[in-house]
Amino acid sequence: MYEDILQYAIDYGLSQGASYVEARYHKNTGSNIVVRNGAVVDAGISSKEGVGIRVIYEGALAFSSTTDLTRKGVRRAVDKAISLARSSKPLIKEPHALSEERVGRAKYDVVIKEKFEDVPLEDKIKVMVALWKDLPKLLKETKLVSLFEAYVESIEEKTLITSDGAHIVSRVPRVFFEASIVISHPQKGTLQRLIELGGSGGYEVFRTWNVEDVLSGEVRNIEPVLVRGVEPPKEPVDVVVGSEVVGLIVHESAGHPMEADRIWGREAAQAGESYVKPEMIGRERIGNENATVIDDPTIPGSYGFYLYDDEGVPARPRYIYYKGLINEPLHNRWSAAVFNTRSNAAARAMDFTSEPLVRMANTYLEPGDCTFEELIEDIELGVYVKSYMEWNIDDIRWGQRYVGLESYVIRKGELAEPVLYPALEFTTKSFYSSIVAKGKELRFYTGTCGKGEPAQGVPVWFGGPDVRLSKMRVGVAPR
Amino acid sequence: MREFLLELAKVAVEKGGGLGYDDVVAKVVSTDEAMVKVANSQLTVAQSWRVTELTLYLAKGKKIILVETPIKGREDIEKVLSNIGGYIKSVKESEMYAPLPEPSGRPLEGLIDPKVIDTMYRSSEVAAEVVSAAHSEGAEKVAGTLTLAVERKALATSAGAELYEEGTSVEAYLRAFYRGNSGHWAYGSRMLDLSALREVGKKAAYYAKLSTNVIDVPQGRYDAVLSPLVVGNLIGVVAEAASAFAVLAGFSMFMKFKLGDRVASDKFTLIDDPLLRPLPGSTGFDDEGVATKTKPIIREGRFENLLHNAKTALMMKTESTGNAGIISPQPWNVVIPSGDYGEDEMIREVKDGLLIVNNWYTRLQNYVEGIFSTVTRDAVYRIKDGNIVGVVRRLRIADTFPNLLRNIEALSKKLYNIRWWEVPIPSKVPYILVKNVNFTKPTI
Repeated sequence: MYEDILQYAIDYGLSQGASYVEARYHKNTGSNIVVRNGAVVDAGISSKEGVGIRVIYEGALAFSSTTDLTRKGVRRAVDKAISLARSSKPLIKEPHALSEERVGRAKYDVVIKEKFEDVPLEDKIKVMVALWKDLPKLLKETKLVSLFEAYVESIEEKTLITSDGAHIVSRVPRVFFEASIVISHPQKGTLQRLIELGGSGGYEVFRTWNVEDVLSGEVRNIEPVLVRGVEPPKEPVDVVVGSEVVGLIVHESAGHPMEADRIWGREAAQAGESYVKPEMIGRERIGNENATVIDDPTIPGSYGFYLYDDEGVPARPRYIYYKGLINEPLHNRWSAAVFNTRSNAAARAMDFTSEPLVRMANTYLEPGDCTFEELIEDIELGVYVKSYMEWNIDDIRWGQRYVGLESYVIRKGELAEPVLYPALEFTTKSFYSSIVAKGKELRFYTGTCGKGEPAQGVPVWFGGPDVRLSKMRVGVAPR
Repeated sequence: MREFLLELAKVAVEKGGGLGYDDVVAKVVSTDEAMVKVANSQLTVAQSWRVTELTLYLAKGKKIILVETPIKGREDIEKVLSNIGGYIKSVKESEMYAPLPEPSGRPLEGLIDPKVIDTMYRSSEVAAEVVSAAHSEGAEKVAGTLTLAVERKALATSAGAELYEEGTSVEAYLRAFYRGNSGHWAYGSRMLDLSALREVGKKAAYYAKLSTNVIDVPQGRYDAVLSPLVVGNLIGVVAEAASAFAVLAGFSMFMKFKLGDRVASDKFTLIDDPLLRPLPGSTGFDDEGVATKTKPIIREGRFENLLHNAKTALMMKTESTGNAGIISPQPWNVVIPSGDYGEDEMIREVKDGLLIVNNWYTRLQNYVEGIFSTVTRDAVYRIKDGNIVGVVRRLRIADTFPNLLRNIEALSKKLYNIRWWEVPIPSKVPYILVKNVNFTKPTI
């Protein structure tokens, strides 16, 4: 779409002395429904459409965007970018360069089985409204005080043309659902759970989630945690971490520190730097042989799906950590040039106002071969942390904390009483060195990953199997 | 530009009314923005944006639909109204519906600094001065951004509002590195003040160099001096929790309190102040056309106001506070009145504690209980018997907001205008001494 305008921007930028020009038409359209306690708040539609231009001019990288999809509009955007680059000379030390790549010329889209517009809005609302009536019936000792739901369907369409030959046209529809549940007990206070589900495809994806079952299961499981949850054992114990928590851990402590722009320091004032230094890549170990973490944009149906990145490089799985080795950082064409390597197609931009940055797509810990029963069968005393609410990690992606929500004591190889707010706090190295066994079932979870300035949120999956760790001390969140 | 944007907003309201909608609000915002981003003391990217967007609120028979779309001219309004045509029939009545209020807002004047507009496309020159200020104070390398912007806002409502306001903004933050330590500072204003910007570089370098004696501390409870960066981040969470919509949606610690309840130390007052012109959140009218006003959220420790628009006000049987957000009310500018401590005096007050320069990644385990943790970044300085004795790396505050607010012991005399990546709400805040804060760190 708008190929002639994009090509004009490329030609015009080159004619003005830019050594590289990239023009991306980028349209994000969506509609959403918001429901609170079984009552609709609002429904809406949103649209963002424009062209993002990047130029390299005399060694300076500049970005400009416009909603004016005419020759005049993109010419003005190119002029602005070049003007910004020209005025930036006092701050240039090393000229900006991009790696040489076999960029693609391709068109792809995600096939929709059930178009969003073929499902009446009333039917979508009905599913969400019904939950407020049904869920309280499942609670015996607590009350459902708040159920906040949002449903979003969206389509992302892009046409990318670069001065070195990339021409990629793509269309990716996505669907997303989130819910916040708050239950309350007169003496025990409240417990809160957030759930996010997402994938690429049409409304058929939403149907596969069976949100009624998902939320019913959550409500049933968190009530005993609030009412009868105990403190975790004080001594160091075996810990089993559920796949939801494992997915988040690998996103935070494998994916983020292995973003090459972060390793160089480009995000130092925002999302931070990395414990990984260039000389550690391919040489140092961060964990044991169970620590293989993969980021793969090409997983069909995934929330982070793409086949070519926003610099036109074909996507493939990246083995970030391989059997404990710090193996392959995520690269765009700039970081690849800095590290004297090739891009592995990690450049993603949120919308037309956003420069492509090094981003994850779908990050997961490679599964093992155990059943859940096998993971816990010889644990005398331990803790199983199935889900979480609070988490964070420091800005070099080393020290991190995950506070469990649905959690249990493991006693003599079986799940026993629930645990309230167990807090796991460890370093990246201690986590990946402590994996003693992995489940065989790989599950994915949905998130919107934030990075950059202005901050860009991009859709991702993160996942893994259930994982057993060697003994560690389990803390507890303050109340 | 004024006439063009107002015309678009008015046309949207007229056309929406013509299609039978009971209530229409059209907000057209045009933003020109330029940003210079620096890392390893050099340019990483210069960026600029010019975006004009229409937010349209349409209500009919108490059903609500919202539209957000880029807009170039009148033809886009017709297109979007046509696209949304059948939508209203399918939506259910909204429990949030309230008739649009009579317009009472007036634009604030004096929000434009021509220097911001003049400098916008050569902001690298100003950024170079900030970088240079940090280096002249001894920083080894720096990273940060400088953003200059002008925002023009037109609002029309079917209740009769026709309002226009424009303002400039400056946001700068810098992280300075020195021998494995780092310091950080930030600044937000409507005015371009070169000396204030240089101060960002100097203060970041100062905090990177305050001590290089690396020491370890066990996890546990310490008295903590929180810098204005930390205060802006954490109290920003409290201010957002004061949105009545956050209370209705289950995302607020104020769900457990009634107006008048004691929620903080009596030394602490938290104000939402949209009329404080130098802060970039200043405005004379909200998204429903209601006049904004200065109001305490917490006054001398007592919970005094939630933030309301007409919709939440009707649900909670009160008046709008002029904080619309068309659906969710929002704070404009966070202000904490000053205390009576000098900054050095506050450090001298601490027998066994920590000075926290900066933090990030604040996440809540439970919004209703206010259980949270946040990670320190940049230097944490160890205070013993009133003196800084060393630097501690990367601790975590893991506590609850009610505890934190109740344990506020002292506030500095001087206030700082702060805005950065982790402080999105413009804030004018002091250093705060909090007693008995829980700190954790990795156990393996």
